[in-house]
Amino acid sequence: MNRAVEVRHHLVSRQTNGGRLALSLAGAALLLMVSMPWWADAGLTRSVVEFSCYLALAAMWNLLAGYAGMVSIGQQAFLGVAAYGLFALAGHFDVDPFLAAGLCLVVPVLLAVPTYLLLRRLEGPYFAIGTWVIAEVCRLVISNTEWLGSSSGMTLRAMQQYSLEQRQMGVVWMAAIMLLLTVGGSYWLLRSRFGLALTAMRDNAVSATSQGVDVERLRFLVFLAAAIGTGLVGAVYYLSALRLSPNAGFDPNWIAIAIFIVMVGGIGTLEGPLLGAVVYFTADRLFSDYGVTYMIALGLLTLVVALYARGGLWSITGGRLGWHWFPTRWWLRSGR
Amino acid sequence: MQWLDATIQGILLGGMYAQYALGMSLMFGVMRIVNTAHGDLLILLSFVAISVSASLQIGPYSTMLAVVPLAAAGGYLLQRFVLNRAVGNDPLPSLIATFGLSITIQNALLAVFTADPRSLPGNGLEYDSISLGPLFVGVLPVHIFVAAVLLTGAVHLLLRRTSFGRALRAAAADTDAASITGVNPRHVYAGATALAVGVLGVAAVFQALRVTVSPADGPGQLIYAFEAVIIGGMGSLWGAFLGAMLLGVAQAIGGRIDPGWGALAGHLVFLVVLAVRPQGLLSGGAR
Repeated sequence: MNRAVEVRHHLVSRQTNGGRLALSLAGAALLLMVSMPWWADAGLTRSVVEFSCYLALAAMWNLLAGYAGMVSIGQQAFLGVAAYGLFALAGHFDVDPFLAAGLCLVVPVLLAVPTYLLLRRLEGPYFAIGTWVIAEVCRLVISNTEWLGSSSGMTLRAMQQYSLEQRQMGVVWMAAIMLLLTVGGSYWLLRSRFGLALTAMRDNAVSATSQGVDVERLRFLVFLAAAIGTGLVGAVYYLSALRLSPNAGFDPNWIAIAIFIVMVGGIGTLEGPLLGAVVYFTADRLFSDYGVTYMIALGLLTLVVALYARGGLWSITGGRLGWHWFPTRWWLRSGR
Repeated sequence: MQWLDATIQGILLGGMYAQYALGMSLMFGVMRIVNTAHGDLLILLSFVAISVSASLQIGPYSTMLAVVPLAAAGGYLLQRFVLNRAVGNDPLPSLIATFGLSITIQNALLAVFTADPRSLPGNGLEYDSISLGPLFVGVLPVHIFVAAVLLTGAVHLLLRRTSFGRALRAAAADTDAASITGVNPRHVYAGATALAVGVLGVAAVFQALRVTVSPADGPGQLIYAFEAVIIGGMGSLWGAFLGAMLLGVAQAIGGRIDPGWGALAGHLVFLVVLAVRPQGLLSGGAR
């Protein structure tokens, strides 16, 4: 009986002070984003939308490569086809662009299922090259399709029915929903029933299988989720850009940005991509005028992180200090 | 007749891809390094060749003699001081490290040579052609093809017949066991990369003779090298050669059907091979 009493003095909990603070800040940031149409100017709105796209893109690649162990270098395929889905629905079928931005997510699903079936048996490097070829095939097929504007691309004329203010409001709200689904969704997924399985898979796929995790099924679901999330990034980005061409939509630079953000921030953590996105976006705004010098520094930084600090910036800052902004594990604490 | 012509042109084009794929196949087979900077190293060496040729006023083959030792030395240093840290069972670190290197090389080239396309003057070699019955074949593509056969054969013999080749194969099979028997894996790995980049030096001279090169061309060439290696079966030298031929023929025939579909036809053949025989055509064969 004594024991039971003792147990009551201990507390099993997951949330930390840092986590509570981070969640409040994230909630406040989202509210601030939603209220932007009433106080922000066009430049700031565009920057926030762009930042959100990079963050969501990185969160999806992190889920794919960091947790499910599928290193794809062709995620721009899903980004591009979703954007083309949006432009085709709005341009050829007169669907409202904001509605089309949701409906077009069917296209990345239709691409992801056969892609996964084709590539699922391939290990590491084969898988990576396979995804890149898929993205190139998408780019080349669309470049040769007159209905989709061939290599010169398409313009989202349907947006003319809205005023500039309405467009900005719609896009920034879409961006807020996108962050909630991708970044919030990753956090929710890792705290859900699948979270433990995903973490086990991240650490060692073979031993996760031996512990009863259905790795194959989980990988498929993550691949599908990442395809949809990445497609949403394409829809939001090009809803704001209004102009789309095969070389822009399927630009390998998209995956370069995602890899940079995740690797520099810290792969396989939820905090890492957030940190990486802030670093990338700040560096981009401050130094992109330096052009090639800036890109050389970015390349060298990626090289140094891959060789000397595999855990990224998070592992040598917050992670080392034992911070948990987005805690996913349980702790036993003693209650006083 | 035009399909026979396309096939022959495709095989000769495949000679170029075989040269890219050789070094990549070697690096993957020995160290399991996926070198995403392979295409950018090729373009870097092409620019080195153009500069050397222009400043010394020498022809393409003399340029090659100057560039290959430089390339091999560069490869040795690259592996010894940078990439050896990324060797391991997990392909991710080497993929990301070489990816960073790729961005660095591309932009460094852009800073030094600007975005203007350049090419290597070949003293007429690039225009000459010979007639094979009713077909005309460029002299340069024939040189490229012959060089590809000779290089693949030479690397094959090097791996089979020399003590360096034995050490290399031993380190590839089991690094720990090899180091017990007196092989220094770090040195052997550096030797493998020196060989791979040295071969790329030959390919770089041919590439700059064949077409114009500009700093952003690397990734476009890289994808063909990857495809050739995977079609053939990773780690198999003659497999990569065969893969390069298949890719070249697919692109040439696709290009005849519709100029926009050349590269696409190559990608589709690659995807079909992945679907039907993901281990590659010659996997498990002679390495």
